[in-house]
Amino acid sequence: MSEVESVEKFRALSPSEFFYRNREIAGFSNPARALYQTVRELVENALDATDTHHILPDVKVVIKSEGGDGSRTLVNSEGSAEEYEGVLYSVQVEDNGIGLPPQHVPRAFGQLLYSSKYVLRQSRGMFGLGAKMAILYGQITTGRPAEVITSQILSKKIHYFKVSIDIANNTPVIHEFSIMDKNNEWHGTVVKIHLIGDWQRSKQKIYDYLKRTAIIAPYANIYFEDPEGNIVMFRRSTEEMPVPPREVKPHPYGVDIELLKRMLADTSAKTLTEFLVKEFQNVGELTALKILEGAGLKPDLKPSELTLNDITELMRSIKASKIRAPSGRHLSFLGEKLIVLGLRETLKPEFAAAVTRKASVYEGHAFIVEAGIAYGDKVPPSDKPLLLRYANKIPLLYDESADVMRKVVDSIEWNRYGVTLPAPLAVLIHICSTKVPYKGVGKEAVADVPEVEKEIELAVREVARKLKSYLSRKAKEYEEAEKAVTIAKYIPDIARSLHTLTDGKFKREELEKELLQLLNKKLTMLKIKSLKEVVIEVS
Amino acid sequence: MGHGTYLTSKDLSARNKAIEVIKSKFSEIIEDLMNGRNPTLVIRKRTLTNTIYDEANGLLKLGEGVLKRSFLNVNESKKFMQTLLIASIIYESLKNNEYPTIRDLYYRGKHTIKYRDLVTRKVKEENTWDEQKESDSVIRDLEVFIDMLREDMLILSKEKGKVVGNMRIRSGDDVIDLSKMGHGAYSIEPTPDLIEFLDYDVEYVLVIEKDAVFQQLHRIGYWRTNKALLVTSAGQPDRATRRFVRRLNEELNLPVYILTDSDPYGFYIYSVFRVGSITLSYESERLATPKARFLGVMMSDVYGSPKLGKKPYLSESERKNYIIKAKEMDIKRAKELMNYKWFQTPRWKVEIDIFLEKLSKLEIEALTSKGLKFLADTYIPHKIEVGDWLA
Repeated sequence: MSEVESVEKFRALSPSEFFYRNREIAGFSNPARALYQTVRELVENALDATDTHHILPDVKVVIKSEGGDGSRTLVNSEGSAEEYEGVLYSVQVEDNGIGLPPQHVPRAFGQLLYSSKYVLRQSRGMFGLGAKMAILYGQITTGRPAEVITSQILSKKIHYFKVSIDIANNTPVIHEFSIMDKNNEWHGTVVKIHLIGDWQRSKQKIYDYLKRTAIIAPYANIYFEDPEGNIVMFRRSTEEMPVPPREVKPHPYGVDIELLKRMLADTSAKTLTEFLVKEFQNVGELTALKILEGAGLKPDLKPSELTLNDITELMRSIKASKIRAPSGRHLSFLGEKLIVLGLRETLKPEFAAAVTRKASVYEGHAFIVEAGIAYGDKVPPSDKPLLLRYANKIPLLYDESADVMRKVVDSIEWNRYGVTLPAPLAVLIHICSTKVPYKGVGKEAVADVPEVEKEIELAVREVARKLKSYLSRKAKEYEEAEKAVTIAKYIPDIARSLHTLTDGKFKREELEKELLQLLNKKLTMLKIKSLKEVVIEVS
Repeated sequence: MGHGTYLTSKDLSARNKAIEVIKSKFSEIIEDLMNGRNPTLVIRKRTLTNTIYDEANGLLKLGEGVLKRSFLNVNESKKFMQTLLIASIIYESLKNNEYPTIRDLYYRGKHTIKYRDLVTRKVKEENTWDEQKESDSVIRDLEVFIDMLREDMLILSKEKGKVVGNMRIRSGDDVIDLSKMGHGAYSIEPTPDLIEFLDYDVEYVLVIEKDAVFQQLHRIGYWRTNKALLVTSAGQPDRATRRFVRRLNEELNLPVYILTDSDPYGFYIYSVFRVGSITLSYESERLATPKARFLGVMMSDVYGSPKLGKKPYLSESERKNYIIKAKEMDIKRAKELMNYKWFQTPRWKVEIDIFLEKLSKLEIEALTSKGLKFLADTYIPHKIEVGDWLA
């Protein structure tokens, strides 16, 4: 575990109020969706705390019905009443991750837009917003704070917090805090949230979500206990993990005015040239000077001295300059091996294959598309290929029909790849990017960005070609096996006849051996070791 | 082999010859196999397109076309197996001094192969053959392959043809006087090549399609008064009768006259005697009698022919009573006959034209109704005398 980082970079960003008023955009629009979203956010945090740091994830999810059913009326911040139909549940997610520095816990859970994920490295949620939205939602519907237990890897202590969010001031409220001594090797984080949810209506989605997570993270153990008392264990099938993403500086094409402003304010660079070279990737001194010349700015200007107009000019010049495309080094793709393994373990197909494309770029953002195919055996046949969508290792379960992945998969002429629909065919598509081009605010569907769409299509076609060659090889093998049987079944009669016609000079066994040898010489894909494989009895 | 004691010398030598031929032909297959080559039977094709009418000899022959039936060819492997299977059964029968019929061979070779389909893993069953026509077909292939007729391999079939007349023959170890058969007649044995002609006082052979007419002529002693050898095929002639007639014509130089019904089917029976069956042309070289003459009953015997200046043998009222309306099948067959080279003569054209014009036919029995005496004393002798026959 050489890559384990125990200290992350944290910084404060903006207030809770906005999100409280717009919680639908984060996926908390109703009790069913909220329960699903809470599970999802906590599981994703748990995976980020583990696999990103090269720890084999052990994630335990427990949803409990906490009694007290029916509806309740809540008063929102604007003073109007809202009806919530649902039951009180608790969702507890435990991981064996790196743990959190205790001093950051209150703000990490009790302040929106405070996150370790601001640096440019692909992780599941970009802003670490999701878990806090879950806490906020729980707080609104139940009035109960969240509970957090955490311990860092080398720490001898375990820290316990009860924390909620002061919505108006976007500050954490600590209700309880304690420190315990740790006398074992445990490290990780446990988060427990109470909320009003709807298990019956979210059950299917939650199971789908966990199953799809298991597909894309075959190196994880995921334990799940549902409110009905069912326990499901998705066991890891490999100890191999994807290469953890590296942090990279932003690419000039990928920043907007707001980010540029903030970067100018925060930089330690003394001059604009130094700022461009130091804070961005793929910008050398020559490129920096050209950008500044294009913007009409002096190279030795202090970054903090730029006017809004200067910043706009700088932005315009950046977009107009020729800068080497961003690298994909900071992207965490799964790789063909893990995708195949995940598909095999979960869907139990007859055939599985995967493809990881090289990094590509849209609007200054690097991205990688991966595609996998599972075909046959236990894969349920369907009229359209079953589609498993992922963005940054997060399963996407909603708004499938609006997703460009669905559009691409449906535009493929599958019969050209030897598949006649309906067929037992599942297609997995994974997009990794520091900025996945989501459609709308729901972050459940990927938008039709031409560069992304093209890469998806190339990836799907590439993996479909693997399926095609498998199917055609299989067809050829069947054909040859049929041929072999057609001929082999007559060998005993032919041998017996020749034995008679030579007055017994040649033994039947010897003739059978010669005939079989002759047949095997002709076969290219299989060999019949013994006639007994084919002929059972001649009577 | 207890019953071997009674084998005649002719029988034995025929057996030994067949054994040697089969053994030597199949030793090539063994040689292929032992040298790592795909064992292949090369057999002349028995198809219509590979059938040639040899005009000089008046025979049907197989052409040069061959089919290769090999072990490793998926489409032929079953036939390959079947051919070897039938050959081995016949070979065994020859060695065991048996006389199987084609039906026996069918039963002896029929068994079930239980095998596993390697794709579905299911156990399946297949018979070496299901119907007799399958085993019959490979028997024909074997005849062509080793260039021997089944009779030469001592395969028996039902006796159908009969003969009576002033002639002595040797069959097996016995001498048979064909003039001393009483009211019966000698059944032509299925292996006519084993018959030895001893002595005879016969001027021609009269082959009668209908058994009943044959019996009537026999009873009134037609063969005695006319120095004829009377033969009946009792309908469509079997191989033995055809081979027997062929030998009489070829070896004893006796003219052969054929008497059938006056209809396209009767003409066809004559055709079978004369050139053989078009689909079994490989037999024709041994079984056909190219010089056989069609004596009657001709259409022109019934209706006369102004073109030939020939008067009918029947009066207007007799015709009215005896003729039968032709059926669809008769017309179809007549048209088929016109495709055969040996029917494409001016003389045959007259006969077929009359049929197609009148669309009626006449059975030989009609002539015996006119009077057996008319048939025996007038019709047959007169036509032979004036040479009113077709070739």
